[in-house]
Amino acid sequence: MKKLLITLLMITVAFAVFAGGGKEEAAPTADPVVFSFNNGTEIQSLDPGNIEGVPEHRIYMALFEGLVSYDPATLDPIPGLAKSWSVSDDGLTWTFKLRKTNWSDGTPITAQTVVDSWLRFLSPELAAVYAYLPGMIIKGADAYNSGKGSADDVGIRALDDYTFQFELTGPAPYALGMLTHYAFAVVPMHVIEKYGDKWTMPENFVGNGPYTLTSWDPQEKIVMDKNPGYWDADNVKIDTIVAYPIEDENTSLNMYKQGDLDWVMTVPDAQLDSMKLDPTYVTNATFITYYYQFNTTKAPYDNADVRKALSMAIDRQELVDKVTRGGQFPAYGLTPPLANYPKVVAFKEDFDAARALLAKAGFPNGEGFPKATILYNTSEGHKKIAEYVQQKWKEVLNIDVTIENQEWATYLDNKQNQNFDIARAGWQGDYVDPNTFLTDLLYSTAGNNDGRYNNPKYDALLDKAATMPEGKARYDVLRQAEELAFSEDMALMPFYYYSTANWIDTNVWGGWTPTILDVHPWKGMFKK
Amino acid sequence: MSKYIFRRALGLIPTMFIIVTICFFFIRLAPGGPFSSEKKISPQIMKNIEAKYHLDEPLVIQYVRYLGDVIRGDLGPSYKYKDYDVNFYISRSLPKSILLGSLALFFAVIMGMGAGMLSSLRQNTWIDYMSMSVAVVGISVPLFVIGPVLMYIFAMQLNLLPVSGWISERGYSALILPVFSLSLPYFATIARLSRASFLEALRSDYVRTAKAKGLKTSVIMFKHVLKGASLPVVSYLGPAFSGIITGSIVIEQIFRIPGLGRHFVQSAFNRDYTMIMGTVIVYSLFLVIMNFVVDVLYGYLDPRISYK
Amino acid sequence: MSDTIIKNKDTVLNEFDQPVKGVSLMQDAWRRLKKNKMAMFGLVTLIFYTIISLSAPLLPIHSYKQQVLGHQFLKPSLRPAGELMYERQDKLIRGMAAKEGRTELNEAEIKKLADLKASITTEKKVLLNGEEVLVHERVYPLGTDSLGRDLLARIIYGGQVSILIGLLGAITSVLIGVVLGALSGYIGGTFDSLMMHFVDIMYSLPYMLLVIIFMAVFGRAIQNLFFALAIVSWLTVARVVRGQIISLKNSEYVEAARSSGAGTGRIVFRHLIPNTAGVIIVYTTLRVPSFIMLEAFLSFLGLGVQAPFASWGVLIQDGVYAMTTYPWLLWFPAAAMTLFLFSMNFLGDGLRDAMDPQSKNKL
Repeated sequence: MKKLLITLLMITVAFAVFAGGGKEEAAPTADPVVFSFNNGTEIQSLDPGNIEGVPEHRIYMALFEGLVSYDPATLDPIPGLAKSWSVSDDGLTWTFKLRKTNWSDGTPITAQTVVDSWLRFLSPELAAVYAYLPGMIIKGADAYNSGKGSADDVGIRALDDYTFQFELTGPAPYALGMLTHYAFAVVPMHVIEKYGDKWTMPENFVGNGPYTLTSWDPQEKIVMDKNPGYWDADNVKIDTIVAYPIEDENTSLNMYKQGDLDWVMTVPDAQLDSMKLDPTYVTNATFITYYYQFNTTKAPYDNADVRKALSMAIDRQELVDKVTRGGQFPAYGLTPPLANYPKVVAFKEDFDAARALLAKAGFPNGEGFPKATILYNTSEGHKKIAEYVQQKWKEVLNIDVTIENQEWATYLDNKQNQNFDIARAGWQGDYVDPNTFLTDLLYSTAGNNDGRYNNPKYDALLDKAATMPEGKARYDVLRQAEELAFSEDMALMPFYYYSTANWIDTNVWGGWTPTILDVHPWKGMFKK
Repeated sequence: MSKYIFRRALGLIPTMFIIVTICFFFIRLAPGGPFSSEKKISPQIMKNIEAKYHLDEPLVIQYVRYLGDVIRGDLGPSYKYKDYDVNFYISRSLPKSILLGSLALFFAVIMGMGAGMLSSLRQNTWIDYMSMSVAVVGISVPLFVIGPVLMYIFAMQLNLLPVSGWISERGYSALILPVFSLSLPYFATIARLSRASFLEALRSDYVRTAKAKGLKTSVIMFKHVLKGASLPVVSYLGPAFSGIITGSIVIEQIFRIPGLGRHFVQSAFNRDYTMIMGTVIVYSLFLVIMNFVVDVLYGYLDPRISYK
Repeated sequence: MSDTIIKNKDTVLNEFDQPVKGVSLMQDAWRRLKKNKMAMFGLVTLIFYTIISLSAPLLPIHSYKQQVLGHQFLKPSLRPAGELMYERQDKLIRGMAAKEGRTELNEAEIKKLADLKASITTEKKVLLNGEEVLVHERVYPLGTDSLGRDLLARIIYGGQVSILIGLLGAITSVLIGVVLGALSGYIGGTFDSLMMHFVDIMYSLPYMLLVIIFMAVFGRAIQNLFFALAIVSWLTVARVVRGQIISLKNSEYVEAARSSGAGTGRIVFRHLIPNTAGVIIVYTTLRVPSFIMLEAFLSFLGLGVQAPFASWGVLIQDGVYAMTTYPWLLWFPAAAMTLFLFSMNFLGDGLRDAMDPQSKNKL
């Protein structure tokens, strides 16, 4: 069947080529619509249990569908595999009604499939990196994953073939949004049992998303064709999606200019000014912050005055206008602005005040300031920012810093073991809530608090917010914590909130909307 | 002679064993590991991962296990690209690298030896200066400049050749730019090395004798000089061959060639231990065999060489 | 040497009993080198490069690290930076307006341009060296980079480190490679076989990880960069030299030296190595570009000179992507390096010809 389809496809293509001399409008509807894009790099895996990154997520969205999926514009959870759901009054038990739908090989998907998939994801043998997500909210999940509990005690069950239920560890209003994540994927257990680790090979692969895998040539491309058995196939308008793993930005841009690619997300820095004038440039605020981490376990960075002086001696507007030039937004706090959580402006740049603070800390006019190093992972963009900061600190504070680049793994190792003075970092929120920044990065015991910032008052505020229901009151407490961390402590040195860069011709491709997480679901995209 | 060859061939086995052993322990000294991640993985999940890949066992046990697998021809799973194993990636990408590399090297040898020979015969004339200038350009302009420049001219401006891609996607014309770019530095080296050794050989006694006998220049060149003068080129080709056919990351990235070169570099960045070991084994196998072949060739090329 | 007979300690006679003026090998080589135009051109250029690099701090050029934001990506010109900056901004702003479908600029944009124009003649800036200047009067003959730094200064300073790296790499590779290769080839047997196994093993170690581990242990000092270069640079030289020596070690003059009682050291260093000098010189000059580029790769790993200082390799690497938009960022550093390598190679060829013992009294 698949072979027949490909043959047909090739005939159509051949026909299109031979008919190319004639008028385009001969039979435009017969041409399959192909959408090619640069996925940035080779994906690690197709198995949702083995993936971590953004390129993998793009492929995941085409091949799989969880209980809920994304609204293409707002990214709010919308029905996916589940057609409806309800929550118990205490907010702890969630019940989902599933659609009667099949895998791409025709096998029905039942509530038991969901249970088995989730248990597989949590199993210690699979060792999924993102097992902590269900571990955070599902009852018994963490115990099972850490080998302390059994699979039977995980709070998920199939009430009947098409009713699925899970229990939470506590009220978590963001649980529904989390379900869009691949940590809650549904996978074809019957195929996995049959082929084991080889189930993701193109010849074995079975999925339930709007697309199905046609071919996967590592380092060349992944081709995905429309899944005719998908429950909402009528709304899948693009016939074929081709993902290229192109790492060279120049090659990728050349292919885009030649029409070989329809969507690219990066261009070389030296081409940014001219590509910003390109009519297909789309930019949007996104949920990522760029910052420098202070090693607060080490003098003089344990002194809040020093941290404040360093942070206030930078001109962030100049940095984003003239150095990064990508439409970023200066940051004077940590959490990128959200609809109900406008950005915190906890301090302002003031060169005189910065000099005064440095003098107060015992380094008048920068004298006696110990030799400092800015650590960053090798990248043209990080280098430019570090060079800018280096000159600015010299001009304003008269201190000399060296800048030091390391390749990724070495850099991570040094950063995570506090083997640095000042280190560059960036953080992308996992879910749309200030918590993903404030707790994950600055809570005293947080695993990613690489600067070892520690203020009991800050921790107390976050603890308080954790017990509060969603709403303005909780956000107010979080704001209070963020203000404290930056106006008094300068826990780290924020630079800017990222903006996304995309080059896609929205006059040709409809249904593609810039979004805050830079996630773009395939379903609903169409060619105009 | 055959005894020498046999002895040398046997010597390859301990060399390979030493390489595998040193590398296995050595690569684990690098900071970070295959599963380090920007968002720190909790100790509990890390424990699961290490158990899955047997990384929680003592290193010596891991080594014995790995050695057993290698002897059976299994290079293990990739820690980074989890769907396929190292054997798959190597068997898939190596043929492409071999094709690209041997084409490039073939052109480089033919053109380089030709240019070197011509230059030596016309020493200090414009032919000499011209071909040596081309050679200097070839060696001084790095691949990551040649590639994009050629792509810009031939693909973007003249629209003669595809921007990038492999044969399967773009046909054989896709090979032209990468093969040409890749061969340039090798061409340059071979041209200059062979010019020097041709000059030396032209002045040697046996060539002088041949000249005195009244032999034609072409006969002298091909019968006498070529053989003797190719020694330095052959010595250079041993390492060069194993280097070029195991891929060039620069050319592969620029022209989107699914070759082995990327795995070489990327596996080291990823600390993908099994992939690193796999590429090291492939590369060193080629290397020791090529160097062995070179040594045997010495005896054939230069009758003055004897192995005792 | 063989046609001269030493009659007594003071006079040297040739086969016709005529006195020969004592000409040392070096003098003789120099005499022949002077006649080779390309080699002399190379030599003069190299001296020029050396002088420029060494006297860089004294030259009337801008600082290589002084950023002037606003002066980014200015094209090479002898006109003041202010004018170029204004033209560039004007073009960008008009381009933005055109993208939004406007032919006329809006008020904010007009004001922005007017402010910029006004600032050209007035704006002062204190440079890193403490000097206060009318910043927009600066002139950048080779243009500026992405942070508004003078490309000319960056190329000159970049040359310092790249030339040093190239030469040091060449010297270490020759010192280690030639000696080990020659000994291995001459002695042969077990020593040779062990040496070659060792070379194979060194080749096979994943070099990138070697450097990463080395850096983690010893830090990123500049001497470590040279060490990282030296440990691999000699491998191919050793193999090439060994091949030559194996072919030469049974020649008549070696037999002669051996029978007259010369030891291994004397035969290798006085007879065999000088006779392979041609290939050694050529191969060494050939390797210089790869050392310069290797340095760029090592700075990617974090070893080597530190930003904002940039070697030629790094400048070229950064310039590649600007090829179509700001071509001077690629072509000037590339031209500077290529000219250097050209000179190096022609001088190498000239030296080879001049030192060739067989070509004595020719030319």
